Amino acid sequence: MENQQDFQYTRQISQQYPQDKRFLLAILQDIQKEYNYLPRESLYMVQEYMDIPLAKLYSMATFYKALSLKPKGRYIIKVCDGTACHIRASQTLTDEISKILKIAPGQTTSDGRFSLETVNCLGSCAAAPVIVVNDRFYGKVTPSMVKTIIDEYGGIYS
Amino acid sequence: MQIIIDKVKCEAKLGETLLTIARRNNIHIPTLCHSDALAGQGNCRMCMVEVSEGKTKKMVASCIYPVTKSIEVITNSETLTKMRKTLVMLLSARVPHNNTILKLRQEYNLPPVTRFKSDDEEECILCGLCTRACDEMGISAISTVNRGINKKVSTPFEEPSTVCIGCGACAHVCPTGAIKIEDIGEERIIWEKSFELLRCSNCGKPFITRVGFEYIKNKINTEIETVCENCRKDAITKKLRDIYGF
Ligand code: SF4
Ligand code: FES
Repeated sequence: MENQQDFQYTRQISQQYPQDKRFLLAILQDIQKEYNYLPRESLYMVQEYMDIPLAKLYSMATFYKALSLKPKGRYIIKVCDGTACHIRASQTLTDEISKILKIAPGQTTSDGRFSLETVNCLGSCAAAPVIVVNDRFYGKVTPSMVKTIIDEYGGIYS
Repeated sequence: MQIIIDKVKCEAKLGETLLTIARRNNIHIPTLCHSDALAGQGNCRMCMVEVSEGKTKKMVASCIYPVTKSIEVITNSETLTKMRKTLVMLLSARVPHNNTILKLRQEYNLPPVTRFKSDDEEECILCGLCTRACDEMGISAISTVNRGINKKVSTPFEEPSTVCIGCGACAHVCPTGAIKIEDIGEERIIWEKSFELLRCSNCGKPFITRVGFEYIKNKINTEIETVCENCRKDAITKKLRDIYGF
């Protein structure tokens, strides 16, 4: 559970924006960035600040892939599965990561360190297959490179 | 202004939708996501018709197409039937056991759809009428959640809503009867929330939830009687009869 101070920060994030519906997504993105997910308490605070129905917020929060209601890992591994990466066997990368981290795409390791996601196109098709960990980019990845990449982020604790 | 629908001359006002005009002239156009009270959805596309203007022809959704000039409209043709068949087929794939869609499928002589794996329990075609109704009520207890194949209608966090007043507008407008509403004695259950029902002071039938009643009372800011719709109609009829003596 978050502490009181955390909630206050949601208020600060919201208040940077005018109380206008069109800033909702930006607010939610900022909250996602801060907490790595959208805490329920934060949604309630945004609801209050923007004076909109909770259902509208929830609809938005579940619509965008960049937003998540469940805590995401500290490191988010995105495997590109766009056409070019797909053809260059991105699936084998996903499988390899799944095997090492013991999670399926969309899940987070129980220690909260890694999340695995597949995305549709990262726009770097020339370097296919592509993996992005947080903001770091890896091109022409082969399954044998996967473990080294994960190790860069501390690897798995055994 | 005059337009022609299926060779019939119809009077039309500027801006009226084709569907409204057709219905007024007893011309049938199938619809799913249209409700007179909540017009302007344009989601299901069952109401497609063919509009010709001089030499150009186009397909439009009659429920949202406003008339701006004299046009000729066809509500039934081979192309239109084909389009509707495709729609019904896709809907059948989504809700194979829903009665409304099943009837349509039979009407259009279509075989069951076996190509896709579907959820046997699914009844919702995601037409959006229910969330619109809830918004119009000023409540917004439900909305669509998720996206793509996981999209559905739900309350926030899929928990009983804190704002729902149990009015049942959503269930009432749903074309497929997908929203469960259960009235047992003086209790109503909808969206997994239980409500107390008030009885009509005239006939004694439970007809409105207590919170719903209070909500309306506050909204229109007047005292209202707990009288159900039927009894209210009867009362008006009786009054008229007294006045005009028939
Ligand atoms: S529940 Fe009914 S009204 Fe709501 S979107 Fe589904 S089909 Fe439409
Ligand atoms: S009734 Fe016109 S699009 Fe659904």
